[in-house]
Amino acid sequence: MSVAGTFLKFIQGGSFLERVLGDKKAIALMVLPALIIFVGVIFVPIVWTFIYSLFSGMPGFKFEYVGFSNYINMWSNKQTVAAIKMNWKYILFVTPGQVGFGLLVSLMMYFSIKKFKTLSRTIVFIPTILPTVAVAQMFAKMYEMVPNYGLINALLDLAGLDRYIQPFLGQPNTSFGALVVMDIWTAIGFYTVIIYGALVDIPHELLEAARIDGASGVKLFTKIVFPMIRTIMITCLVFSFTGTIKLYESATALTKGGPGFATTSMTMNMYQNAFLFDQYGYASAVAILILAQCLLVTFIINKLSREKY
Amino acid sequence: MKKKLLILGVVLVLLVSMLAGCAGNQGAKTPSASTGSNTGSSGDKFQSRTIKFLSIWPEDDKNSNGWIVSELSRQYGETVDGFKLEYEYVAIDQLDQKVKILMSSDDLPEVCTYESGVRLKQVIDAGLILNVEETFTELGIRDCLDEGAVSLLKRLVDGKGLYCVPLGLNMEGFWYNKALFEKAGIQKAPETWDEFLEVCEKLKAAGITPIVQGGSDNWPMTRVLNAYLVRSVGPNAVQDAVTGKKKFTDPEYVAAAQMFQDMAKKGYFAEGMNTIDPGTATSMLMNGQAAMNYDGSWKVSNLNSDDNTAGPEGIGFFNVPVVNDSSTILDYSMNCGNILMFSKKKYDDKVADWMKYVFPKLGDFAMQETGAFKGFSISKMPEDTTYYTQLVAEHLAKAQGAFLWFEAKMDSETSTIAQQSISLLYTGEITAEDYMRLLEETAAKSR
Repeated sequence: MSVAGTFLKFIQGGSFLERVLGDKKAIALMVLPALIIFVGVIFVPIVWTFIYSLFSGMPGFKFEYVGFSNYINMWSNKQTVAAIKMNWKYILFVTPGQVGFGLLVSLMMYFSIKKFKTLSRTIVFIPTILPTVAVAQMFAKMYEMVPNYGLINALLDLAGLDRYIQPFLGQPNTSFGALVVMDIWTAIGFYTVIIYGALVDIPHELLEAARIDGASGVKLFTKIVFPMIRTIMITCLVFSFTGTIKLYESATALTKGGPGFATTSMTMNMYQNAFLFDQYGYASAVAILILAQCLLVTFIINKLSREKY
Repeated sequence: MKKKLLILGVVLVLLVSMLAGCAGNQGAKTPSASTGSNTGSSGDKFQSRTIKFLSIWPEDDKNSNGWIVSELSRQYGETVDGFKLEYEYVAIDQLDQKVKILMSSDDLPEVCTYESGVRLKQVIDAGLILNVEETFTELGIRDCLDEGAVSLLKRLVDGKGLYCVPLGLNMEGFWYNKALFEKAGIQKAPETWDEFLEVCEKLKAAGITPIVQGGSDNWPMTRVLNAYLVRSVGPNAVQDAVTGKKKFTDPEYVAAAQMFQDMAKKGYFAEGMNTIDPGTATSMLMNGQAAMNYDGSWKVSNLNSDDNTAGPEGIGFFNVPVVNDSSTILDYSMNCGNILMFSKKKYDDKVADWMKYVFPKLGDFAMQETGAFKGFSISKMPEDTTYYTQLVAEHLAKAQGAFLWFEAKMDSETSTIAQQSISLLYTGEITAEDYMRLLEETAAKSR
């Protein structure tokens, strides 16, 4: 018998486990390390950041207590306000886009594709595992106009749609769209795989019974399929939301936040304030604002998920 | 009872072994510390000295400033025993943060790369670095520094003195493709702004893109705005506005932003220029896809390379054209690149000895190896200099006055706003007034 086997037998022996778990002190002792790490890694920095947010300047240089004025000044700082607006606009496009397309593709895979299921799932998943910077480079090449036409402009040229040829990353409105398209494309695979997993778990009898009762198409989806995968959909929304509210690397790699401040997110604004403008205090306040928004939205999504369907 | 005793025993053994471990560490540390850091004091015994160099250039990047310093230090190491240069590389975008942290713990290395201007001024004010003027005079090596570079460096810190050594002496202006000028029927490089606009018009009429700038990095675009601003308001235009003597919203400042936008609207700039990176812009100039490019003399390394399809004399240079008599054609936009500063706390006679070896040699060594000016005096020019290196040398010799780049006197927030918003001025998203108002509002915060 292997060592592991002996050990398993020993702890499954009942008397040992019962005795240990019966002792509250023992439980406390076992939970303690994880608790210390959790508190140390999550709560201490949050409290620390909050304390920093009440100061102006940078620790070590001109670090002065200013009360809540960072939180008040935030609303008259054009760049921060623009970043908040931009970030929410981005969330409104990208979160439904990522989860919505993920749902569509997974439904297609589940109901329409009969052959090469594993292959198609693998192909759809590939963008998710590509490094963001590589994806951004690829898209930047596709959107390119000078010195050479990128894929999109070349296609427009080929189709004779010369008036639509433009520097997509050089104009505020198109660069925002370009970023949204890229980030939806990258994440579709991830949500497809998760939702597909939920679809596979729906009991076959249920679908069969519904079909016999005459449900099909949209009705089958809204009455049977969607309620069954609802919890997974909510998880996906939370994932997507938390991913989009901390938008940083894809925008940095694709547009550097530009042109102007058209694609500068809240986290990028925070970074600029902390590490370029030496305003740690103000940047901490922005960080706390991001945290508050995260908590608020997660709370709302959770509330909605507990409601009866 | 027995079990409790056993547990107690195990705990005790663990504790004792941990303590023993700590003690062992201390025991090991003490002697090495005493041999390592005992420098400067006199003694017959052999003493080693490690000089730490914080650099933004990878050490193996031949021809970079970091390589030059480390190569000269290696040569110095061959002449003395026990000398070692500890080379620490930090990415350029993390340099500022790293230096700030080192400053706050008063632990700047012996030699440290940094940037001149507002940032260096903070370090000077904190009293952490050597006065290079005094130190070099004391060591008798003051004359190894180029006077032009020294006066520029002093100006960058508002006359506080010389607290750093240069690692470059660059001038900026318009590089142009001679073949394209000829094709458009342009006889000579423009000297006034009106002539310059005429040249742009002629090029455009001949179906040639007049100007390309690496706009995705933003600064190449603010440089063009600054060119007109300096020539119409004077070399101190930005400084006056930053200190509050004048305002960015004054009509002459807005006029400069307007000129930039007008040039964009007239199609003098390459289309989609704010998506082109500086490297591509240089290639476009050399390939004949655009006729002019405002850039610094650091471009010489590209022009000297085999990638230069325009050939060994195919690209010319002219200084920023003049607008009125507020500055002359012999005033050049100059800068000293990144600089080196030296910790005051860690300076001792070993560092002095190293300085005496390295810096008097740096100018000639860099010219010989890389063909670049570093802001050090050069005793003799190498014989096989290229046309482009000579071109820069000629213009540097002609220079009578210097002006600085657009963001040189701005704090980091104003400078970021200036750079990020120039793209919107280029696309026409904001007006010239909007642009200057943004700068004024941001600059006013730190006045």
